[in-house]
Amino acid sequence: MEFEAVIGLEIHIELNCATKLFCDCPNNPGDEANINTCPVCLWFPGSLPRLSRAALEKAALLCLGLNCEIQTKSAFDQKIYYYPDQPKGYQLSQAHQPLARGGWVDITDEDGSVKRLRIHHVHMEEDVAKLMHELDGRTPVSLVDFNRAGAPLVEIVTEPDFRTPHQAMEFLKTLRTQVRYVGSSECSMENGTMRADANISIRPKGTDQMNTKVEIKNMNSVRHVGDALAHEISRQSTAVRSGEAITEHTRLWDADKKTTLPMREKFEAPCIPDPSIPEIIIQPDEISAWRAQLPEMPAALAERFVKQYGLSTEEATYLGSDPETASYFEELIRHGVAARTAMHWVSTQLLPALRQRNLELTHSPVTPQRLARLLAMLAADEINAAAARDVLSLMFDSDAPPDDIVKARGLGQVSDTDELATLVERVLSEHTAAVADFKSGQAKAMGFLIGQVMQASGGKANPKVIKEMLARTLSV
Amino acid sequence: MDSVFSYQNPDPSGSDGTLSGLKIAVQPTIGIAGWPAVAGSEALAGYSSPDDATVIERLKQNGAVLAGMTHANELGLGINGKSTAGSPTGAKTTDAELLLDLAGEARLSAARNNLWGFKPSWGLVPRSGIAGLVPSMEACGILANDPGTIGTVLKVIAGPDERDFSQPQLEYREVSIESIKPEQFTLGIIEEATTLLSGDTRDAFHQQMSELKKAGFQIRTLSWPGYGLCLVVHRLVGSVEASSAAGRYDSVRFGRRAPGAKNWNEMYLQSRGAFFGTLVKSYLIQGAYFQFERYDAYENACRIRARLLKVAARLFTQTDALVLPAQKPVDAGTLDRLYEQCKFTAYANVVGLPAMYVPPASAGNHGFELAAAQGACGRVIALGEYLHRLRAGGKA
Repeated sequence: MEFEAVIGLEIHIELNCATKLFCDCPNNPGDEANINTCPVCLWFPGSLPRLSRAALEKAALLCLGLNCEIQTKSAFDQKIYYYPDQPKGYQLSQAHQPLARGGWVDITDEDGSVKRLRIHHVHMEEDVAKLMHELDGRTPVSLVDFNRAGAPLVEIVTEPDFRTPHQAMEFLKTLRTQVRYVGSSECSMENGTMRADANISIRPKGTDQMNTKVEIKNMNSVRHVGDALAHEISRQSTAVRSGEAITEHTRLWDADKKTTLPMREKFEAPCIPDPSIPEIIIQPDEISAWRAQLPEMPAALAERFVKQYGLSTEEATYLGSDPETASYFEELIRHGVAARTAMHWVSTQLLPALRQRNLELTHSPVTPQRLARLLAMLAADEINAAAARDVLSLMFDSDAPPDDIVKARGLGQVSDTDELATLVERVLSEHTAAVADFKSGQAKAMGFLIGQVMQASGGKANPKVIKEMLARTLSV
Repeated sequence: MDSVFSYQNPDPSGSDGTLSGLKIAVQPTIGIAGWPAVAGSEALAGYSSPDDATVIERLKQNGAVLAGMTHANELGLGINGKSTAGSPTGAKTTDAELLLDLAGEARLSAARNNLWGFKPSWGLVPRSGIAGLVPSMEACGILANDPGTIGTVLKVIAGPDERDFSQPQLEYREVSIESIKPEQFTLGIIEEATTLLSGDTRDAFHQQMSELKKAGFQIRTLSWPGYGLCLVVHRLVGSVEASSAAGRYDSVRFGRRAPGAKNWNEMYLQSRGAFFGTLVKSYLIQGAYFQFERYDAYENACRIRARLLKVAARLFTQTDALVLPAQKPVDAGTLDRLYEQCKFTAYANVVGLPAMYVPPASAGNHGFELAAAQGACGRVIALGEYLHRLRAGGKA
């Protein structure tokens, strides 16, 4: 029997707000332990939560960026469970009345078709503290760092629309792009600002059964999600084939051993309306105002890039994969670079060079203005492409204008025919066999001869000019 | 003195302001920076408050003298032999007292000490800095020897506070005593409350009503269907909220920790088991039962409460204020005793009304209770002042 998977995702995203969700403590979990705490996020007797307006707005923008419907009325509940990372015996979360419902993300499926994956709802909640267990020494101790306690999170719960690991991975990538566009979070699974859990069950292909699902946690990258789901599909299929019953429980992905391991039975915490946080009432005109703040989203931007700059859909989607790349590209164009050249240089030169140096595009020492100047010199034949690549590399270590670097390194292109004529003559006389090949109709030999002249010029000759000169000389 | 105060201010000096010279004692559920704030609980032994509660900030700013802290029943729940709320003011050592009214504690402490006791409308007085237990029902109450002093203190502590996000949009509006004209003032009696009375308490209540009638008030009997459910709703919703609210007393960040636990779960169980008293423990366990096992019953209680709120609001279209019976408190050692104790007070916590205990004109008799619509604290206090002046033989 052939099986198919039914997968739904639960994604936690840490909002990049300046403060925590219910107090004014800085939202910097990585600082020295317990520095960013106050009577509210430590839940001393008598402290009361005060919902952050900024967090509500960031959460709302995120929802709108995912095509969700913001609810005019939402509310916080207490999700009750005891654990030392939880300073009050419950987590404030929106269980009964979430901030937004509905929504979707469109992905490109394996066969190239567009698949719409639906979101069930998005709710706000607070993060918990971080536990550190020190097991060495005579008495093992557990230390609690409350810096993260109360950090603002949203949880995105999808419909069980996914059938393959590929769809789950594409969903996460597209979701990440869209959330970065609205500016609510960096969404890094590696840094923990985006965390994804999956619910997965299997059923005979072509049926609409909803079977017992298993929850998978601890997947720290998009690739882990794909690997863990693929593993779990095969684990469950094998189990069902051998007549084993699937029970509802939680499993942890072990990335090193590439396997999922059972953790615990699934525990459903009761959720009680919180009496100290008033209902959140959002007026329709507030929603309109937020909607007006949304930037051009990636799908619309890619469509525009295709129309406006004549790029292919793949190229446009690539440039639109994060807002910084898209805006860098458009900056180059504003500085007079041709669209195709800009696309080519950003994707094949600039971004790899940044990656190599571990730099973010937003902190690139090669600004669009400087790169545009370099590309202008290339377009004007003042330098050749090889020299331009060398200059780009030098620009990472120098603030000097590209013109100065070219001059200082003597990388200016030689287009002077008198100067080049001597080199052309010398190469022709040294490579008579290649000349004979060319004359007998082997066009390839031209490339060889151009290469030889380039080499003789120390890489500075203008290949276009050489080609013209060679062609003229040989056709005589 | 030791038996009345759990802590006495070593420097009881006030400053200039509208409360200058007024001596006030507070319950140890109310935080005062640097003072012990143990809320009557072993679980909080050694804890002192990092900040002033908002009500304390306001008392200090207005020149009041903070005399000390009384003894409280654990986490302010109910009153029994341990609680000394009302004693210092009854002995005229202090002029007024603040204490949490979760189910009627302020009014019951007043009844026990022959004082006037007031529970404000829910949310009018900020709760920030007060270790509460039943957030949707509790309010910071005021005790004094006369309703005028209660009004003076209320005026200072009431009003919006940016630390208490839960407050409804309420401002304290004073009502002048001159505006109380008995012949134009209706006092409603709730039929469902008076039927609960028997024997001498019933006789006393009727006696008081006839005196009010003699004073010229329009007395009107009203029906509040569901009044009897207030107690059940309080007991269920109150225990659920308490179970959550007490979750922060986990011995991790403050409070006492029982030694010898092998893991965190044991640490919780042993610490809470060792340091919470029986009454609080049974309340929390009851609340946890409804949270984990009978959420449907909790939801029903919330629905009934919403209906009680509607009906209560409608009552005040037919009357200016309510007059309700009051009883001398029994000691609250068990949950059943606690709810026997607050049989005639819990309604005001369930529907958030301002309510005032009016002591009997002569000691030994029964007092009664006044209540008005949500937000109408000024009316209750003015009415109290009118009655107080009437008794003193003054012309109202």
